[in-house]
Amino acid sequence: MTLTLKQQLSSPGGILKFLVKYNTIFIFILLVIFSALISDVFFTSVNLSNLLKQVSGIGIISIGMLLVILTGGIDLSVGSMVALLAVTFAILINLVILPLAIVLTIAIGFGLGSVSGYLVAYQKMAPFVATLALMTIARGLGFIYAKGSPVTFKTAGGVFMSNFANNSTLGIPNIAIVFFIIVIATMVMLRYNVFGRLIIAIGSNEEASRLSGIKVNKYKFLVYAISGALAATAAIIVASRTNLGSPNMGMSWELDAIAAVVIGGASLNGGRGTAINTLMGVLILGLIGNILNLLNVPSYPQQVVKGAIIIFAVLLQRFESK
Amino acid sequence: MKNSENEYRLEMSGISKSFGVVSVLKDVTLKVKPGEIHALLGENGAGKSTLIKILSGVHHKDSGTVFLNGEEINPKNTHEGQVLGISVVYQELSLVNDLSVAENIYLHKLGASKFWMNWDKITKDAQELIDSLGFTIDASAKVRDLSIVQKQVVEIAKALSEDTKVLVLDEPTTVFDPTDTKKLFDNLFRLRDKGISIIYISHHLDEIIKIADSITVLRDGVDTGTMAVKDTDTDGIIRLMIGRELKDLFPVRDAVIGTEPIFEVKNLTAKDTLVHDVSFSVRPGEVLGIAGLGGSGRTETAKLIFGADKKKSGTLILNGKEIKTKSPVDAAAHQIGFVSEDRKEEGVFLPLSIRRNVSVTNFKSISGKLGFINVDNEYKKVLGLIDKLNIKTPSSEVDVKNLSGGNQQKVALAKWLSIDSKVIFIDEPTRGVDVGAKIEIYNLINEVAKKGVGVVVISSDMPEIMGISDRILVMHDGTIYGELQKEQFSEENILRYSIGKALKQHN
Repeated sequence: MTLTLKQQLSSPGGILKFLVKYNTIFIFILLVIFSALISDVFFTSVNLSNLLKQVSGIGIISIGMLLVILTGGIDLSVGSMVALLAVTFAILINLVILPLAIVLTIAIGFGLGSVSGYLVAYQKMAPFVATLALMTIARGLGFIYAKGSPVTFKTAGGVFMSNFANNSTLGIPNIAIVFFIIVIATMVMLRYNVFGRLIIAIGSNEEASRLSGIKVNKYKFLVYAISGALAATAAIIVASRTNLGSPNMGMSWELDAIAAVVIGGASLNGGRGTAINTLMGVLILGLIGNILNLLNVPSYPQQVVKGAIIIFAVLLQRFESK
Repeated sequence: MKNSENEYRLEMSGISKSFGVVSVLKDVTLKVKPGEIHALLGENGAGKSTLIKILSGVHHKDSGTVFLNGEEINPKNTHEGQVLGISVVYQELSLVNDLSVAENIYLHKLGASKFWMNWDKITKDAQELIDSLGFTIDASAKVRDLSIVQKQVVEIAKALSEDTKVLVLDEPTTVFDPTDTKKLFDNLFRLRDKGISIIYISHHLDEIIKIADSITVLRDGVDTGTMAVKDTDTDGIIRLMIGRELKDLFPVRDAVIGTEPIFEVKNLTAKDTLVHDVSFSVRPGEVLGIAGLGGSGRTETAKLIFGADKKKSGTLILNGKEIKTKSPVDAAAHQIGFVSEDRKEEGVFLPLSIRRNVSVTNFKSISGKLGFINVDNEYKKVLGLIDKLNIKTPSSEVDVKNLSGGNQQKVALAKWLSIDSKVIFIDEPTRGVDVGAKIEIYNLINEVAKKGVGVVVISSDMPEIMGISDRILVMHDGTIYGELQKEQFSEENILRYSIGKALKQHN
C-alpha cells in the first residue's frame, strides 16, 4: 500500500494485480463501455439522470449498510424502514411545516435504528436476528399507519419536495447530489475521522479494540442508529419522487444494499470496505438493471444476471486476497 | 508513611479471584521495584494471566489491594489501567489488521481523542518509536501486510507510550529468532535502566535466568514466593513451579515395543510448506517424540501425513503396505489419528457433547446400513471411553466447552481411540492443561502405546518429550535433522539438533 501507482504497474504481473485490486472500478468502467456500445439511448442525459435517480435511494441505505458491515454486523431492517419512514414522512408533511417534517423523520429513523443498535450492542443479540425482527416490525407498522394504502402529499411543502426530488442542478439530479454528498462525507469520515477509524478497528478485531479502552458497545450502537437515519433520508427521497409514502416501498432493498456493499469488496466479517467502492457497487447494480431494461430484458432474467454478477465480483475479490 | 513502601513501584497483595466456583487466585502477592525485570512464572493454568488481567483492569479482583507508587489503584477497565501507566503485551496478538501500524500503536489514544485524525503526527511518532526499538517497519503500512515477527514488534511498541510505568510482557519471544530476541532484550534492558518496571512472563527458563532480576512463581493460584534470580537455578525454579521432582511426572514406560515398524514414512515432501525429505518409522508400542523449534515443520509434517496438507512426493507404509492419504478422510479410514495442537480450533467441537465429539470419527461402527445411528451401541462405546480415559464429567451429554483443558484433550484423544487407531499423532499434548491432567495424559499415552499403537508425540516442552518418548527425532528447517536414543536425551542435545548443529563429542 506504500507503493506508488507507477511502481505497482511496473512490478511483475503489476497490471494484473492493479486490475484485481481495483476490480470494482474496472467492472464499472467495462459496464459503462459495454452499455454505450450496445445501446444508443444509454449515453443520453435523460437515461443517465434516470439511472442516478433510481439508484440514489438504495445508494443511501447502502452507505448505512456499509457502516454496519464494517463493524462485522448486518442490518436487514433498512428496506422496511424506508417503507415505514416514507409513510411517516408523508403523514408528517401534511401535519407540520416541511423542515420539521424532515427533522422528525430522520430522528425517528435514528430512533428505530437505535433499537437494533441497543439489542445488538447491549443485549448481545445476533445482528441478523435483531434486525430481522425490526424488519418485520417496521413493515407491519408501515401498513398500520398508512391504513393499507399510500399516503399522498397534500401541502405546499409536498409540492416543494416533489420538485426538488425530480429536478436537477447543473445537470445532476438533486437526489443524486444528496447521495454523493453522503458518500463523500462517509469517505472523509472513514479516513480522517476518529469515529470512522474506530468502527473499522472494531470490525477488524473487536477484542483488541476493547482491550485498547475503546467503548465498543457505544460505537456498535451508533452505526445501527446512523443506518436508521440514512434509511430515513432515503425514505424522504423516494417518497418525494412519487409524491407519496407507501408501505410497499423499499421491498427487499436491504438485499440490494448488502449486494452493493459486497460487490464493493467489503468483508462481511467486518473491517474491510470503503465508501467509494460501495458507490461503485451501487452503480454497477443500477447499470445492470438499466442496460437490461434498455435491451428489453424482462425482470426475472435480470435477477439471474444480478446474482451472477455478485458471484463474479466476490470470486474476483478472493483472487485479490491471495 | 510512604518512605519504606517506596521501595516498590507495584505492590499487589492478598489478591484472590474466583470464576464461579473455580478459585483461580488465592491470596497472591506480587511486588515489583522500579527499574527491575521481574519474571512471573508458573505452569499453564497457574493463574498468571488472571493476575495480569486484574492488574490491567480486564478482570476485577474479589479481594486484596493493588498499590502503584504508593497509591491504591482499582482500574475498572483496560483504558483506566493504561492511563495509570500499566501496559500489557498480550500473548495472543491483539492487533487490528485493517488499520495502519501507527493507528494500532496509538489505538488506546484514538478512543479518547478528538474528532479528526492527525495522520501526519501519529505516523511520525510511531515511526520514531519503532526506529528507536531498532526494527524496520513502515509505520504507515497496514498491519495485515506485516510478518508475524513485525506484528509482535508493533504489539510491543503499542505498550510503550511515554507514560508507561509498568510493562507486562506475556511470552513475547515465541515467534522471535535469536537475533530478534536479543534486540528485544536490549530494549528491555534500556527500559529497565530508564526506571520502568517490567513483568516478564515466559516458559523459557533460560531466558528468565538471562534477563530477570527476580522471580515470583505461581502454582495452582498460590504464589510460592519471590526470590532473586542469582539465588536460584533452573532446577530450583522447576521444583517451585510443579511442586515435586520432575521425574515423578512421567509414568514408567513398560510397553513392549515391536520389532517391525507399524508405520513408515519415506522421503515425504510437501507441496506448500517447508517440509521436505522426511523419513522415519515408528514401531507398535513405541512413543516417538518429535522435537524442534517453532516453525521447524513439526506440525506441518503431521498434517502432511494426515492428509490435511498437500504432498509433493514421498511414500507412507502402514503395516508393510503402501497407503495414500490425500485427505484426512483417507487417513482416518486407514486408522491414523491426529490430535491437533490447536485443540479449540481443530481438535474438538466445543459446543457439542462429549458423546457427539467422540462419535464423529466413528459413525461406521455405530450405525446400521442406512446410516442410522444405533444409539445403544453409541452409548456403550462412549461411556466405555469416558471410563477408560477417566474424563471427569457427570455424563456423556456435557458440552465439551464446559470441561477443563485436560479433559478436553482427553476427549480429543478419545475420538481417535474409538476407531482403534494404529498410529496416533499427538501435537502438543499438554498445552494449556494443569499438572494433574498432564500426569493423566502421560499415563494415557503410555496406555495407548501398550495396546500396540504407534504413538508420535510432537512437543516443544523438553522435559515432557524426554520424559515420555522412547526415541526423539529433532526437526530443523523442514526436515529431520537428527535422532536421539534414550541414553542421548538431554536438553542440550535436542537444542543443538534444533538449531542445525552436530552433537558435542564427549570423550
